[in-house]
Amino acid sequence: MSLRTSISPPAVAQPPIQDAPSRHHMWQKISPYIYVGPAVIYLIIFMIIPVVQGIQLSFTKTPLVRPDGGTGVGLENYAKLLGSPQFYNSLGATVLYTAATVLFAVVIGTGSALLLNRAFKGRTVMRAIITFPWAVPTVATALIFGWIFNRSDGVLNEVVGVMGIGQQGWLVDPKFGMAAVVLTSVWKVMPLVMLVVLASLQSIPTELYEATRMDGAGALETFRAVTWPHIAPTVRVVTLLMTIWSIRRFEIIYLLTGGGPVDSTNTLVVNVYRQAFSNQELGRAAAIGALGLVLSLLVTVVYFIMERRTAAKEA
Amino acid sequence: MSTKEAPPVLHAPARRRLKAPGQRNFSKPVRLLLLAALVLFSGFPLYWMLNTALSVDSELYGQAQGWWPHWERLADFGELIGTVPIFKWLTNSVVIAGGTTLLSLVFAVLAGYALSRFKFYGKGAAGFLLFATQMLPEALLVVPIYALFASLGLLNGMGGLILANVAFTMPVSVWIIKGAIDAIPYEIEEAASVDGCPRVTILSLVLTPLILPSVAAAAVINFFDGWNEFLLAKTFIAERDLWPASVGLASFVGQYLTSLNSVMAAALLFTLPALIFFLLVQRRIVSGLTAGSVKG
Amino acid sequence: MAKLSLRNISKRFGDTKVIHDFSAEVDNGEFLVLLGASGSGKSTLLRIIAGLTDATAGDVIFDNLRVNRQSPRERDVAFVFQSYALYPHLTVRENIAFPLALDKFKGWHHIPGISTIARRVFGSSKDIAKQVSGVSAMLELDQYADRKPGGLSGGQRQRVALARALIRNPSMFLLDEPLSNLDAKLRAELRGEIVRLHRLTGKTFVYVTHDQVEAMTMATQIVILHNGVVQQHATPQEIYTRPANTYVARFIGSPPMNLMAAAVVDGQPVVGGLTLAAPDGPGVGQPRLGDGGVTVGVRPEHLSVTVDGGRQGLPGTVRRIEDLGADTLIGVQPDPALDLKTWELNRDELIWIRQAGQSRLMAGDACTVVPEPGKASYFDSTTGENLAPAGRNSDAGAVPLGA
Repeated sequence: MSLRTSISPPAVAQPPIQDAPSRHHMWQKISPYIYVGPAVIYLIIFMIIPVVQGIQLSFTKTPLVRPDGGTGVGLENYAKLLGSPQFYNSLGATVLYTAATVLFAVVIGTGSALLLNRAFKGRTVMRAIITFPWAVPTVATALIFGWIFNRSDGVLNEVVGVMGIGQQGWLVDPKFGMAAVVLTSVWKVMPLVMLVVLASLQSIPTELYEATRMDGAGALETFRAVTWPHIAPTVRVVTLLMTIWSIRRFEIIYLLTGGGPVDSTNTLVVNVYRQAFSNQELGRAAAIGALGLVLSLLVTVVYFIMERRTAAKEA
Repeated sequence: MSTKEAPPVLHAPARRRLKAPGQRNFSKPVRLLLLAALVLFSGFPLYWMLNTALSVDSELYGQAQGWWPHWERLADFGELIGTVPIFKWLTNSVVIAGGTTLLSLVFAVLAGYALSRFKFYGKGAAGFLLFATQMLPEALLVVPIYALFASLGLLNGMGGLILANVAFTMPVSVWIIKGAIDAIPYEIEEAASVDGCPRVTILSLVLTPLILPSVAAAAVINFFDGWNEFLLAKTFIAERDLWPASVGLASFVGQYLTSLNSVMAAALLFTLPALIFFLLVQRRIVSGLTAGSVKG
Repeated sequence: MAKLSLRNISKRFGDTKVIHDFSAEVDNGEFLVLLGASGSGKSTLLRIIAGLTDATAGDVIFDNLRVNRQSPRERDVAFVFQSYALYPHLTVRENIAFPLALDKFKGWHHIPGISTIARRVFGSSKDIAKQVSGVSAMLELDQYADRKPGGLSGGQRQRVALARALIRNPSMFLLDEPLSNLDAKLRAELRGEIVRLHRLTGKTFVYVTHDQVEAMTMATQIVILHNGVVQQHATPQEIYTRPANTYVARFIGSPPMNLMAAAVVDGQPVVGGLTLAAPDGPGVGQPRLGDGGVTVGVRPEHLSVTVDGGRQGLPGTVRRIEDLGADTLIGVQPDPALDLKTWELNRDELIWIRQAGQSRLMAGDACTVVPEPGKASYFDSTTGENLAPAGRNSDAGAVPLGA
């Protein structure tokens, strides 16, 4: 080991320069694909191919018992669908269900978050109780509410009976079917809205409140000037998520009403399932599915546009 | 507390400590009333599940059900549950949820790493695929997946069900893991690469231990999904012994051969693990879920 | 052991070119400091040497091997990060042992899961433990061996990072602003430490900093970068005494060199009516200088200030007095009639003088600034280049100015 040399001129005769051996560079080029590949291939096999197959299926008449042996019927499934009031009813049920669930879940969830966003005795317990429903498995939820809504022995009828209203068939009366399903769904998904909004509320710096308070603002003004602007983006995002999730919700509706009474809760996803596995018409089911997909995509596109708009606003 | 500010006085009484934000949006009695209503709304159905599970048969049908659980029924809980093959089904649920979690996480860690750290041709497309597939409704895909699995001979088995579940749970996990890796300073990885780690080893020796909390959150979310999943399981698995608890319990909906208190007791057993898990990791799940879904 | 050659390195990020055609030869055992303001491209250059970033063009050559395509590990360099980049989940001992443990990995040890076990087993093996305790002792880390980095101070963390670099016995040490996250006292302490490690190992050190004190005290050679272009590559002494251009003159020294506009009369530079000695070498008096004149640079310590109006010098008014204890900085506003263009050249209308001890002067006093004969530097007033020939003691490997 030599001590440091002082600055010296370069050696006069230098051996030729060679490339050092390395496979590093090649690896760097291909390794991203090795990492992301499995997930992408998996999704192509189990998501993209089924979507494509589903669209193909929608142009055929395929019985459930022979899922790979259908006969092409062209646009017949679509023509029938678009000509049948049942399909529009189903579309309407989807929109009604989604709108009602999202509205109540977001309003109640945001309200609960505001209520719980202050320290008081028993807050932890209350927050836990209010969030529990989200963790309850959907099937268990359906069992509980099915029992609560039960016509002859359900507790809801017991309660309304006390109030002097006669027994109602909450799940079998077309007047109430959708309301019961929405109520159950709101019970289940509202906690998520609450938790997300609460997290956002708790990230508001206290100085902002102090400042408005110094300015002598009242409660409503404070809410309008400080609280709402801060949580609005979160509420927007959570509303979109709720919408997407509500369009695709199946279990609660299927298990509580099976799409009834009189098709009043027959949303698109439930409709698909019934066409496929009750009516055993895979082709027809796939056609509804394809149209439902268009609806989902529409929401996704709206979501992307809104995301971009907020991003542009922030920039 | 009144909603109106008192006019300023010269010597104000000691000013109250500023309270947590949002406190002034409701006056106290209204707030208490609303809170009580909320707790009732959210808590009652759960209470009612417990109450029904611990009820005596006679009050379930015909006469009004009592408002309080018959705690003495706890002693025959085993007998209550004995009428339902819930333990067999719960075991199936554990296998399905566990398998889904494991497989999903392997994909998620690899893909999340690539999306977080690499620039490569097609990254945008891969990201879009992982984002868009989250939007696809299970029920709309169930028909073609059923057809696909029928032709592959994957129906009526837990393996096939796990494969299908992963397709639905993996995208969220990828975003959670990607978000976690994004938050780790890149220098640590560079230090490891100077120290002689190839990529795989950086991922296993350095990054994975650092993002463990997020991996855990993703694991819980996956397990949750696998545990709760009903539609695919119902469609794919016809054999009663292979059912997960969700399908098993759903088979009691609308049928009255098995007494309801037994069904509710079984449902309670099915719910409890989910509740406990949830309580343990609630905070992480929430941030994880929203991070996963919000970041396109 | 490696001699480092950088040949025509360029780097672009998208449309921004951060390094322009950089070349340098660094002999084995040198302590090269890459000095520049933020955004000068110095860190990018270091990362290109390390293999953490690919150059857009040009070659990195270690001895006679072009290593452009090699990974950092294959290049056998150690890298010390500004942010320390320790492994937060490992103890100090495990952090230091990490590179050695990895040395022992064979192919299958890299399989996930097995790698975790392998790291533990190898990391606690006897020979590695011995080396780790040797290095920890050298850097006074023994008593923290079982702590995690989160429980250490910034200075201790950087010592761990140094230990992790040192233990590998690499052919070259690359340090990226290792001290800039530390407070002044620790910085001075670790500066000494790093110089000691350099002497001890005899290896090449390439050290990136924006701190001229670090550069002047540690380097055997300094490269000054500005917007990705080399301004000067020379020894610290030469950079101080013969800055290659006005940028370097202003960048090095605190307060920096005072620049003043001068006319050229009969081959002699004249500043505000004061005739100075001509610089040696070509330049002054040549026709090309006749029109624009020259820029004269004088370091603050080569100026004195007096209230004696009879002295030959530049008249002005005292505006600022900064008493630093051992010496005093005096800011003098020259008489505007002299037209020294100080604001244009220095971005400061004052001429700064460094005087030993305290000063009796007060702000507002009229005074005369007197330059020490023969200590001025002369720069081309259009190109900013130093007119004195590049050095008796400059590095022949250095890139000539304007390259």
